[in-house]
Amino acid sequence: MIQFEGVTKTYHSGKQEIHALNGIDLTVETGEIYGVIGFSGAGKSSLIRTVNLLERPTNGRVLIHGKDISTLTSKEIRDTRKDIGMIFQHFNLLNSKTVFHNVAMPLILAKTPKNQIKEQVKSLLEFVGLADQAEKYPDQLSGGQKQRIGIARALATNPSVLLCDEATSALDPQTTQAILDLLRRINREYNITILLITHEMGVIREICDKVAVLEAGKVIEQGSVYEVFTNPQQPTTQRFVRSVMNDELPESLLTKIQDPAQNHSIYRVQFTGSSVGQPLMSQVSREFNLDLNVLFGNITELQGEPYGNLIVEFSGSLSEIQRALTAIRSDSVKVEEVKNYAS
Amino acid sequence: MLVNNEQIIEALWETVYMTGASFLFSIIIGFPLGILLVVTRKGHLLANEPVSKVLNVIINIFRSVPFIILMVAIIPLTRLIVGTSIGTAAAIVPLVFYAGPYIARLIENSLLEVDKGVIEAAQAMGATPGQIIFRFLIPEALSSLVLALTIAIVGLIGASAMAGAIGGGGLGDLAITYGYQRFDTVVMLITVAILVILVQGVQSAGNLLSKKVRRS
Repeated sequence: MIQFEGVTKTYHSGKQEIHALNGIDLTVETGEIYGVIGFSGAGKSSLIRTVNLLERPTNGRVLIHGKDISTLTSKEIRDTRKDIGMIFQHFNLLNSKTVFHNVAMPLILAKTPKNQIKEQVKSLLEFVGLADQAEKYPDQLSGGQKQRIGIARALATNPSVLLCDEATSALDPQTTQAILDLLRRINREYNITILLITHEMGVIREICDKVAVLEAGKVIEQGSVYEVFTNPQQPTTQRFVRSVMNDELPESLLTKIQDPAQNHSIYRVQFTGSSVGQPLMSQVSREFNLDLNVLFGNITELQGEPYGNLIVEFSGSLSEIQRALTAIRSDSVKVEEVKNYAS
Repeated sequence: MLVNNEQIIEALWETVYMTGASFLFSIIIGFPLGILLVVTRKGHLLANEPVSKVLNVIINIFRSVPFIILMVAIIPLTRLIVGTSIGTAAAIVPLVFYAGPYIARLIENSLLEVDKGVIEAAQAMGATPGQIIFRFLIPEALSSLVLALTIAIVGLIGASAMAGAIGGGGLGDLAITYGYQRFDTVVMLITVAILVILVQGVQSAGNLLSKKVRRS
């Protein structure tokens, strides 16, 4: 478990003070994949670095498994760091050393016996799918493979926490997917708590359980990925959600459907859980005297649950529309008017 | 030609000896200094502003005195260390004072080229400062360090020829006393040719070694 309690970080640049973190309160439960998202300069990388004290908080505390790490001696800090793996955007591997040596490094530092290192590195490389690349050098490998080395290296000391610093930001979409799958496997198979920072909402949607949105050194919104994606509150959060689920209607479409002679309203219908599989729209159209025009539709998966998002134009008498809406609203179906689009 | 082959070979040996010995001592002084220059920098492993400032000032002082003046200026010290201020052994002292700080700067440069991210990764693994220096910084910079030290050797060959001017012996001595003062153009040409070959050889060897240690 990682807890941030009122963590602040202030940098001094000449006479100027830069507040990178402005009182962060967050709790990452054991076994969770927690994502922190924000635009560049929001304080993400300062935040993740306070966990292994690569950055010391100016104020506040960071507790790992209930222990305040700022009170530790440098020896204790080094021991704590061995329990916290970290992977980086630019991998940060030793280019002068083989893949094997890179992964073995944390074990060499810990003075592990040679034959044990050999065995452990072998199984780590097998786990990340690089068993046949052990004698190569990092610059002979692709970005995705380099990140796999980084992951194997981070896991070498058997940590309970893994920090991912923009781990997929330098990778292409396909490779990103593969690395995210690997991270999820690590989380599931070894029950390792993962804290990741990213500026890509796709990463959050893909593997995170919880998400915090960081802006100007503050957490402006946090919650389960499901909550935040289906009901984002803050404008910044909405922008992030829209970056992966863009349901904005094109202007040309809006002008076309604005016929003053007709009574029509546009609604966003959100389906969750079991309701996703039901032919709700056609039922409504049949039962009530309405014409339904689906302007936008999307089904995605959030935390392993299907989630559907439709933007539908309801045409017909106002009373019929009201009756229809009452009928379809339920625990798993949310309906809200998309006001901006109405004529 | 006013000199015989033996004299040339002896001069060559003296040059190699002066360069080699002063290189060795310069590394002993320059290497730790270079590492200190890097790790005491602001925001680095063992950031320490006073140490960093003092080191920089001292190194800059030595670096700013031209070798020919340095040689003369530290004659008392040379006498103290080797008992005399003339001869090949005596030439080594000013050479070390010249090349030590130079090598410190070269090493500083090479180590600074190492990606900060690598140091960060090392810290995140729980490495001690010593482990970071010897297991991360130096191996990653090794190829560049070899090239830097090659530059230092070439510089020392040049400086050692200058040391000849105050009786240090070596090829420089030969070139000045016979080639210049006695107008023996052949000797001049031969010494220059030997120096050229020497420098070429050192540089080629350095390039080769640098390539070889890039991956270890």
